[in-house]
Order: sequence, then C-alpha cells, then structure tokens
Amino acid sequence: MKQAFFALSLFAFGLTAAAQGTSVTNTAVINTAPKALPLDKSPMDMAYFPEDYPVLKIKDKAKEPLIARIIYSRPQKADRVVFGDLIEYGKVWRLGANEATEIEFFRDVKIDGKKVAKGKYTLYAIVNPDAWTLIVNKETDTWGSFKYDEKKDLLRVTLPVEKGQQPVDAFTLYFEKTTAGANLVMSWDDVKTTLPIALK
Amino acid sequence: MKQLLKLTACLLCLSACGEPQTSSRNPSPALAPIQKDTGTLLQGNANPYAAIDLSPMDIAYFPVDYPIAKMTNPNIGLPLARVIYSRPHRQNRKIFGTLLKYGEHWRLGANEATEIELFKDATIQNKTVRRGRYIMYCVPQPDNWTIVLNSNVYSWGLKQDAAQDKYRFQIPVEKATARVEFYTMVFQKTDTGANLLLAWDDVLARLPFSF
Repeated sequence: MKQAFFALSLFAFGLTAAAQGTSVTNTAVINTAPKALPLDKSPMDMAYFPEDYPVLKIKDKAKEPLIARIIYSRPQKADRVVFGDLIEYGKVWRLGANEATEIEFFRDVKIDGKKVAKGKYTLYAIVNPDAWTLIVNKETDTWGSFKYDEKKDLLRVTLPVEKGQQPVDAFTLYFEKTTAGANLVMSWDDVKTTLPIALK
Repeated sequence: MKQLLKLTACLLCLSACGEPQTSSRNPSPALAPIQKDTGTLLQGNANPYAAIDLSPMDIAYFPVDYPIAKMTNPNIGLPLARVIYSRPHRQNRKIFGTLLKYGEHWRLGANEATEIELFKDATIQNKTVRRGRYIMYCVPQPDNWTIVLNSNVYSWGLKQDAAQDKYRFQIPVEKATARVEFYTMVFQKTDTGANLLLAWDDVLARLPFSF
C-alpha cells in the first residue's frame, strides 16, 4: 500500500506532490522489505459482530448472521500523550490511521434512534475531554480526515468518555454484544468510549 | 517508542522473543474459546481487548493509492478494485514447497481469507468476472499457481468451500530478483487494466485484469 513515506507535515503545508510513480502517505514505517512495500507502523485490523464471525463461519458455528464489520488502522501510543496533544481536542480525527476507518452494516441498524441503512460508511470522531462526537459519514474509500466533508454526514452522536483504565498502547476497536444489539467500543490510552448500535 | 521497539525486536528476533504471550480479551461467555491459528498474535503486545496481529492486515487499491488520489481529485469516481489481506513474514523460512505445500490450498495471506472487491465487471484470461466481493485462495505449484475466486466471503482462511468456487485462473510464476520478506499484494497499472502482483520469498506471480 505504501510506496513511500513522508511526514504528516507535508499535508499541513499542502504539498501533495510526490516523486513520479510514488505517492505521498503520512505514516512512518517499521521495517524495510526488499520490495518497496514495507509494513505499516500502524497496522490495519478488522473486527466483526458477531465477534470472530469468520472463525465461527468455517467451523459451522455462526448461529447468527454477520451484522457489522469494521476496518481500521491501529496507531500506537508509543509513550506519547494521545488525547489533547497528539489528537487535538475539537478537531476531526479519523479514528485510526492511514485510510479512514470503514464500518459496514450487513443489515439496517439504528444509532441514537436514527436509521442507518445497510451499507458502508466512514467513521470520524471529534474528541473532547469529557465527550466524543462520533460521526457516521457516507464518503467511503477515503484517506484520513483531510478531506472530511460535513455535508456527507449521515449522523452525529455525542458519547460520554470513560477515563482511568489501564492505558492501552494500540488503538483498539471491537464489538460487544448487548441486549439491544452491540456496542462498538473504542479504546486508546486511558480513554474508552462506547457507541451503542441497536438492531430494532 | 517502547511499542515500536518491541515490534521491531519481534520482527528482527522473530520467534525468539521471550516475553510472555498476551492473549486477546476473553471470548464472550456464551461462546466456547475459539481456536484460531497458533502464533498469530504479536508477543509482548499488551492489550486487554484485541492484540496486534503478527501478520498485520493491509489494503491495496486499483487505481493504486486510490484514497490518496481522491484527496486531490474528489471526482475520481469509484475505485476499480480493492484487496484486503494479511501479511505474513518469511522469518528465514523456506516458503514455497515447504511452509506452503505444493498442491494444497493457501489463503494468499494469513488470518482471515483474502478478500477482493471488484467495483465493476473485469476480464481475466478472457473470462468476465462479475463485480462484487470474493475471497481468493491459491493452489501453488512449482511452475504455476491456480488462483481461485470464491463466494464464501467473511470466512477465516483455513478452510475453503470448493462448492462456492466461482472462477479459477492458472498463472505462471516468476523468480523474484530479490527476496520479499513480507507477503505482498499490489496492483500495477497496465495498458488494458492492471496486474495484481503477488509476491513472497523468491516467487512472484501476476493476475492480469482488464477493466
């Protein structure tokens, strides 16, 4: 995926040009393979609801249909102050790294009482000390939040923040089952936030 | 930098890392523990919810780096194809014929089955491949690979259901000029579309798409 690595500041200065045949990306890399496609420092990962659905499926143990899948990249705290410093309060964050975080619903669901039709969406968050604004946006297959367009929002929901947990080094998203459906749990550093997703 | 050092150390010293394995969080009580492949979690990576995979996931688009291109060209339209796969690393092992046995199914990656999504119909070896999502797997042989597109999406990569095979293509393999440590999938533009390059160790293969 990554042909080259450049600093995030390149975007800040609006320099999007790159050497011919390569492209600008904005994370450093952890290792250099002989080919020009090193691993990301913030590796991509996937989470399902029901949890571990692909494993259940090949074991014929998937009792319920697939409801949601999230694809995101996992930056590391790496001894930095995350919220309020690395991720500035009040600004739109891509809820991960690299490509914007994608959530796909395989059936209609409800968030904050509003219908979310089956399909693919991009998630963003505006982080503040006591609450996050979680944004469900209709522009998919996009990079970061650099071109975030509020006009393409499906909905915004304010979520309280839980603090004080043992710090989590790698940003983590996962689903947990609830009586109404599922929670998407978002956790990084000492902060945890929960997005309730209802099936009815 | 602690985590980065651990990551790097693990990549360098490979399986020799002595830190205790940290398991991912407990499965939900309703389910028995799920046996995934062993050794798929990066050791020493403390995370109470979901540990980092030893073979991290990655994504490849065609057009190449489509999400970045879209930032400067918002009217770019849909991508043509996207592959999501996990990237095992060689770790001084002999891959083809040893780790991956000739004639047996290989998931073209690690962990979940490798997924390809075509956003419009494509042509491979004069056969029309309908738009949509598929999983991909491979039957490697010394001189050629059979690449299979299968409909059993959202499945783990260890057990393929051949009854759901949709397309099979035999492609030649080439000797790579340099060893590839991390299994790699990437699209390369051609006159008529793109080659999906598949490379690991000293072997590479190309699956040609026309759009």
